[in-house]
Amino acid sequence: MADTLAERAPLPRFFSRGALALVLGIYTFYTLGPFLWLMTMSVRTTAEISTDHYAFPKKFHWEQFRIAWIDSDFATYFWNSTIVVVSAVAVVTLFGAAAAHALARYRFRGNRAVYGILFSSIIFPPQITLISLYQILVDYNLYNSLLGLTLVYVSLQLPLTVYLLEGFFARIPQDLFDAAKIDGYGDLEIFRRIVLPIGMPAIATTLILNFIQLWNEFLFAVVLITDPDKRTLPVGIRAFMGDHFQDIGMIATGVMISVIPVIIVYVFFSEKLIRGMTAGAIK
Amino acid sequence: MAVVTLDQITKQYGPTGPVVVDHVDIHIADGEFMVLLGPSGCGKSTTLRMIAGLEEISSGKLSIGNRVVNQVPAKDRDIAMVFQSYALYPHMSVAENLAFGLRRRKFAAAEVDRRVSEAASILGLTPLLERKPSALSGGQRQRVALGRAMVREPMVFLFDEPLSNLDAALRVNTRTEIIKQHKRLGSTMIYVTHDQVEAMTMGTRICVMNAGKVAQIGAPLDVYWEPADTFVARFLGSPPMNLASAMVASSATGHGARSASLESPLTRWSPAVLGSLIDKKITFGVRAEDLFMNKAALGSEPAGLVRGRVIAVEPLGAETLLLIEVEPGVEWTARLPRHVPVSTDEIVELYYPASAAFIFDATTGRAVIGEARRDPRQ
Ligand SMILES: Nc1ncnc2c1ncn2[C@@H]1O[C@H](COP(=O)(O)OP(=O)(O)OP(=O)(O)O)[C@@H](O)[C@H]1O
Ligand SMILES: [Mg+2]
Repeated sequence: MADTLAERAPLPRFFSRGALALVLGIYTFYTLGPFLWLMTMSVRTTAEISTDHYAFPKKFHWEQFRIAWIDSDFATYFWNSTIVVVSAVAVVTLFGAAAAHALARYRFRGNRAVYGILFSSIIFPPQITLISLYQILVDYNLYNSLLGLTLVYVSLQLPLTVYLLEGFFARIPQDLFDAAKIDGYGDLEIFRRIVLPIGMPAIATTLILNFIQLWNEFLFAVVLITDPDKRTLPVGIRAFMGDHFQDIGMIATGVMISVIPVIIVYVFFSEKLIRGMTAGAIK
Repeated sequence: MAVVTLDQITKQYGPTGPVVVDHVDIHIADGEFMVLLGPSGCGKSTTLRMIAGLEEISSGKLSIGNRVVNQVPAKDRDIAMVFQSYALYPHMSVAENLAFGLRRRKFAAAEVDRRVSEAASILGLTPLLERKPSALSGGQRQRVALGRAMVREPMVFLFDEPLSNLDAALRVNTRTEIIKQHKRLGSTMIYVTHDQVEAMTMGTRICVMNAGKVAQIGAPLDVYWEPADTFVARFLGSPPMNLASAMVASSATGHGARSASLESPLTRWSPAVLGSLIDKKITFGVRAEDLFMNKAALGSEPAGLVRGRVIAVEPLGAETLLLIEVEPGVEWTARLPRHVPVSTDEIVELYYPASAAFIFDATTGRAVIGEARRDPRQ
């Protein structure tokens, strides 16, 4: 059956395969190209780069990484970014999941009002809160502190996380909760033993999105942090762009350092990410 | 094992919302298999969920095993429930699904293992214990859901349409399986369904519900042969009981029911009962299997008669359904032997034993109580 079909229509099928491969190839080159270029630049010195922008490295200057890490303080930036982003993502994931579960599952007065407010805060661009956040952080002595930045990051990412997870959790059948209740479990245990495991694909998705978003966040970090030793990676990289002189080699090396954790997080959670995207198959 | 008593149980959604369960009284004996039967939306699931503790009781008193449990949370009611959707935990294996409720209740690991493997072998799930529910067929999932309730060894089992997602053959098998388990365990079971075959074959007693109220409670055949009102009369039985309005009249030979198309002696009611109905409108009923083409089939019994125009003849193989229009808009169905020598639009007369007639109050639909019908089971 399949054979006869394939024999009868070999040409269009070959065509569509070829066309698909071509499109994917172009797209891959388009997205991967700049990244490969960046990789080559990260092991070349700024002087080499300015003579020939696109050349393949003649000599691999691995010491650039050591210089960036130690002499250019990227270790500090990296550490600051890690503290802020990991704790913000952890808090957002935990609180976001709990809030989403409450909104999806419990009927209480004001449920939809809370949901509406959260949703409206997604619609507005976060920049409009910048000045008031600045003022609040100053008032509470959190300006220019990693804790303050962490709290801001939590507030930035929480609404979208709750919104996405609420949509997923609401589709978990009520019968599962009823069954668990009859099996003797209380509300918190049901959250831990039913909602979290079943919602894992969606949770992993929001976790990756939040991590990438915050790891690359620049605007709030540059406004709310002033001390050089409290800079996060994006701000630290920016410091190598002067008005007249740009240390392109060092910037490329710094960017490479900052990209690595994103790749690690993505690879670690991506199987779950894909399952989250194809979710809805909760039976 | 326990007696379950519903005393004036009512459910209203919100202070001004609809009353979906309305002052329901049911007394379920220890070890009884009680079926809640009714059309969609009549409040069966709501009643069951109130017994389970998943839905708050608006008013009334619910007791399980002589303990009032209105305020007792579901987990402390010593009940287990099988859901229509099975509600298996998708992230756990079959074994974990079975053990989940026992773990919480702090049973020793050895006891948990013993009960899980016992239930698995009874239900034929042993080779599937390590699978996830998504890798099971519908019938297998159903058995896991049943097993999850069984391992708990609860006082009361609750079922909410557990068979409605299975195909016909599997449904019959599983029905037998549940009856077998009821015999083995001897626990009280409350079973919700809208399928009258399930109700008739499984129940010790049936509670027929209509629009949030109890219409009738009784043994399956009692409810079938002595329906309390027109709703029950039509809901139980397939095809439903034939009904038409008629007048009670008295003649020299006794009382009878009469209309333009039907005429029947009323032999099951005392003259005192019928006397008060003379010249009043009633609803008259006969079941499809009590109608015959041939008056001789009734022997010497007093016979009633109905006349109508043939709308359709439906040969089903073993029997033939004959649809006739007795009055404009009123159709009757007769269940006849295979060969029915009539054609469409022909006017036919059908006969029935007078003892097979039912009469109901024309306004309330309540049955007029007469002498019990000759027991057709003999
Ligand atoms: N949260 C609610 N608010 C208002 N009405 C509700 C609510 N939940 C259920 N109902 C109503 O209660 C009635 C009874 O519902 P129930 O689920 O008990 O019916 P059922 O007899 O089990 O029907 P089915 O055979 O279709 O399952 C229905 O009319 C339904 O619309
Ligand atoms: Mg129901």
